[in-house]
Amino acid sequence: MRAALLFFILTLVAAAQTPAPLPSQNAGDVYICPMDPDVRSNNPGKCARCGMALVAGLPDPVEYHLDLSIAPRPIKPGQPASLTFAVHDPWKNRTVTNFQLVHEKLFHMFVVSQDLDVFVHNHPTLGSDGNFHYDYVFPKAGMYRVLGDFYPDGATPQLIAKTLIVPGQAPKPVALARDYSPKDAENLQVELVTEPQQPISGAKTQLMFQVKPGDGLEKYLGAWGHMLVASADLIDMIHEHPFIADGGPQIQFNVIFPRAKAYRVWVQFQRKGVVNTAHFDIPVKELGK
Amino acid sequence: MNYSKLTTQSSELTTHRSLKLLFGLLILALPAMLPAHDIITTPVTWDREISRIFYSRCVACHREGGAAFSLTEYRETFPWRTAIKEEILERRMPPWGAVKGFGDFRNDQALTPEQLELVTSWSQGGSPEGEAKDLPAKDKLDEMIKESAWYGPPVHADHLPGELVATGDFKLTKPFVLDGLFPRNVPDDSSAQIIAELPDGRVEPLLWLDQYKQKFAHVFLLRTPLDLPAGTVISGIPAGASMALLPPPKE
Repeated sequence: MRAALLFFILTLVAAAQTPAPLPSQNAGDVYICPMDPDVRSNNPGKCARCGMALVAGLPDPVEYHLDLSIAPRPIKPGQPASLTFAVHDPWKNRTVTNFQLVHEKLFHMFVVSQDLDVFVHNHPTLGSDGNFHYDYVFPKAGMYRVLGDFYPDGATPQLIAKTLIVPGQAPKPVALARDYSPKDAENLQVELVTEPQQPISGAKTQLMFQVKPGDGLEKYLGAWGHMLVASADLIDMIHEHPFIADGGPQIQFNVIFPRAKAYRVWVQFQRKGVVNTAHFDIPVKELGK
Repeated sequence: MNYSKLTTQSSELTTHRSLKLLFGLLILALPAMLPAHDIITTPVTWDREISRIFYSRCVACHREGGAAFSLTEYRETFPWRTAIKEEILERRMPPWGAVKGFGDFRNDQALTPEQLELVTSWSQGGSPEGEAKDLPAKDKLDEMIKESAWYGPPVHADHLPGELVATGDFKLTKPFVLDGLFPRNVPDDSSAQIIAELPDGRVEPLLWLDQYKQKFAHVFLLRTPLDLPAGTVISGIPAGASMALLPPPKE
């Protein structure tokens, strides 16, 4: 009798360990947002989060190669430098020249300096040689992380980090303290509240922004906002779009901070034709510590 | 004495005790049953996305006969879902031991941002299995395992063919074509940026060790060999450690 009861309970526990499938997750074609792969539908349409067209049955996620070359060398602070991005396929190393638009651009580039003082979000242009080009003046010596965000035809969107070192005296390592103070940007003020108030590594944090004035907001590059998240050591770099936004003054991003480190987040919102950039510093803790 | 009544009473008592035992065990089992109430909030499935990531990045070690417990099947992976998320977000697994995008390696085993996002979404969202029809072909598994940085015997060789051993700030006395690096005696969990300072002033990022562990030692093979002229200084090697500079293999 006891053995039967124990068997019954163990059966219950075993059944409990295996979750039921999401009812619609495999029903026919699945349409996936190339930019936000967790956004899916059983019908074609646009991503509710970023506006990109959903595509049926994305290919396997394969990492492409991004080569970054720069001229002239060595790079000198304060002097113009020409950056060239060449994309190659991972199978035969062929130059890739066909790309899908991602948020109205073929290539998004982020540049962040090691002291987190420099932030650039811009768009290298596709040249006749099949490579992307961008001219930039590195303002100071030190390490820069360069993030390329692009979408080769027939592949999945790519987010690839590269590193450049500008010779000279590098800035001192930065120690980020919590900074949620309201920020005055170009033509609006940005306030931040997070839930939970103390973000925990590996768990979802809601970043709720309030912009003032709340009128005249426009989509910037196809989204109500853009966010770059960088850990102070520049190991983690994450590009996010709003989870909830409707053109009103409240914009919510959801982020999972990977590690118990301090992070700087840059947000960009467009109002009356002007792009506003603001940043906040968020120390992230480990659960229970 | 009415033995039949006693037997009945005994049976009732047994039933009563059994019910108490049932409730007791149910209460004890309740925490283990909680995953049944995991709400599936992700469309990412083991059969479609996660198995492919694990096959290409994890199962060279995590398989029957491998160096670690098997993660080739859904039933093996599901109980580890939370620990897996933590390990990959902390970059402890796969144990590549270097920061992605500082140097460019043809045997890179670190997860891409997209892969990190998919595994995290799957782990947080109820870790659904999906449908077997979406699983990758089994014959791909061996192919993927052979591409792993850890395929074959571990690299602990004291001397690799043609290597130059760099310690401290190491200056090249003659030109060298750098095809790979092999760290030796690097203290576990240390972080170090290894760079090449060329005589013309260029600074090339070579390798950013982070959470490197000697027990997972492996070579870092450059995607494109780097010409280093005489006078180049290799710096950033941790004190007490050395870095084997590897030339391209001979044809």
